[in-house]
Amino acid sequence: MPTLAETQKFFRNAVVGDDMAGIRSLIVGGRDASKRLEVHRRNYETSLVTALLGKFPATVWLAGTPFVTEAARHFVCEHPPHAPCIAEYGERFPGFLSAGPGAERVPYLREFAELEWHVGHIAVAIDQPPVSLQEFSAISDEALLNTVLVLQPGLRYLHMSWPIDELMKLYLTETAADSFEFSPADAWIQTRGARGEFHMDRLDAPEFIFRKSVSEGQAIAGAAERALDADPAFDPGRALVRVVAEGLVTAIMSGSEGDK
Amino acid sequence: MTSISRLPSGAGVGLRLPHIAEVVATRPSVGWLEIHPENFLANPHATELLTELSQHYFISVHTVGISIGSVGGIDRLHLKRVRALVDRINPVFVSGHLAWSTYGGEYLNDLLPLPYNLEALRLIEAHVREVQETLGRPYLIENPSSYMGFRTSMMSEAEFLSELIGRTGCQLLCDVSNAYISAQNMGYDAYEYIDSLPADAIAEAHLGGFTAEEDEASPGAELLIDTHAAAIAEPVWNLYAHAIRRFGARPTLIEWDNDIPLFAALLAEAAHADEVVAGTMALEARCADAC
Repeated sequence: MPTLAETQKFFRNAVVGDDMAGIRSLIVGGRDASKRLEVHRRNYETSLVTALLGKFPATVWLAGTPFVTEAARHFVCEHPPHAPCIAEYGERFPGFLSAGPGAERVPYLREFAELEWHVGHIAVAIDQPPVSLQEFSAISDEALLNTVLVLQPGLRYLHMSWPIDELMKLYLTETAADSFEFSPADAWIQTRGARGEFHMDRLDAPEFIFRKSVSEGQAIAGAAERALDADPAFDPGRALVRVVAEGLVTAIMSGSEGDK
Repeated sequence: MTSISRLPSGAGVGLRLPHIAEVVATRPSVGWLEIHPENFLANPHATELLTELSQHYFISVHTVGISIGSVGGIDRLHLKRVRALVDRINPVFVSGHLAWSTYGGEYLNDLLPLPYNLEALRLIEAHVREVQETLGRPYLIENPSSYMGFRTSMMSEAEFLSELIGRTGCQLLCDVSNAYISAQNMGYDAYEYIDSLPADAIAEAHLGGFTAEEDEASPGAELLIDTHAAAIAEPVWNLYAHAIRRFGARPTLIEWDNDIPLFAALLAEAAHADEVVAGTMALEARCADAC
């Protein structure tokens, strides 16, 4: 008699891998129970493919339903989810999609799908109360350099090699352009979202580097240094004021003082 | 463990993300709301709205990813996340399925069937204990919708559930639609199945729509699929009335997860469930008087 572990292994192989060898003799139902396994195979594939298509509607718009659906079918077979929260499934799909046959005709597909993945997540974030400029006045210049800032949870910084935010805006505004010139160009994009809304803003390279570094937990001095490497004329003081004024900072942290 | 000292009156409906903003805005009159925590754990905005709703409605948490039947054990990280949500909204029930969904670290996004034997019983007993200890409250186990069984089963589903309840103190979520679907697909009597369940352990009932398709395993026959994508069928309403006669009225929930209609359609199904309860109880009372 097979153990439960063996039974579940055989069942898994039938549902995900279409391998009926182990399970066929263990199940009953109708005249040929193995045919009923199709219900579970279909539940697995259809539910996950539907979830992926629902998460990447703009990518479907860009690359076409048949192309994305076929890639999604392969993806769910090769990369099953690892957790029950399906909203978190699919982060690797942009890379998978862009590596598949036919994707080479859309060289910006991966970046576009990655942007969509991030937009999907920031749009359901919740803004935290922002820190005001006055709260920085008590911090000495020296301490300020070692300060780490916590930014809004609905922020992402994406450096793209195509201006895909322009393409995304076409999708979002349902614009059917007669012609659309699209060529590679660096785009430093800040996406910000909360409570069902989001927007995308272009930044220049040093401002992007500063903000991304801060968002990754770099102290202000380190973030400024990286931005200055990109542009010696960069003004960290003004950049910091802009970040605070836009309501992006939710907490001020210092290694010695903790959360202030 | 937390005891349930409050219960909803009137049927409730499954609250799915497409309806949540409408429910927050309009506050419809409905007995209670049930959510799948897996839809909220990665959605802080929806969780914020749900928290607001929990101030006004009874909420039930119906898990689909706990996977008490997996030989690899329960995903403890997921269970901790569910616990955090439960602590936040203080639901009237927390429930899950007699099924498994994970194998070797993979989540198969379906409720997969189990053989009903001692090995499975011991495993699930341990997992239900773990879930109840982690959540600090009774866990309700839902009878599955079945398309197949196992040659290694040594007892009926009702016997398995009764034994599990006796060993763990868990309660039963009687999905009347699942009882009907399984009986049709596996060729037994749904009414006898309902009669064989331990009535005292039943804390909640579910009703949902199914879809019929040709049974490839038995050409010419019909297979019922638990799609939650349609209105509740007449034979299920009849079985529900029988269940009420057998168990008495229980908090009842309308499930609709695919091809989701307007929220008003769910409310209409909930109202019909209330009518079935009222009609059945009135008939029972008249019969009792006549006797």
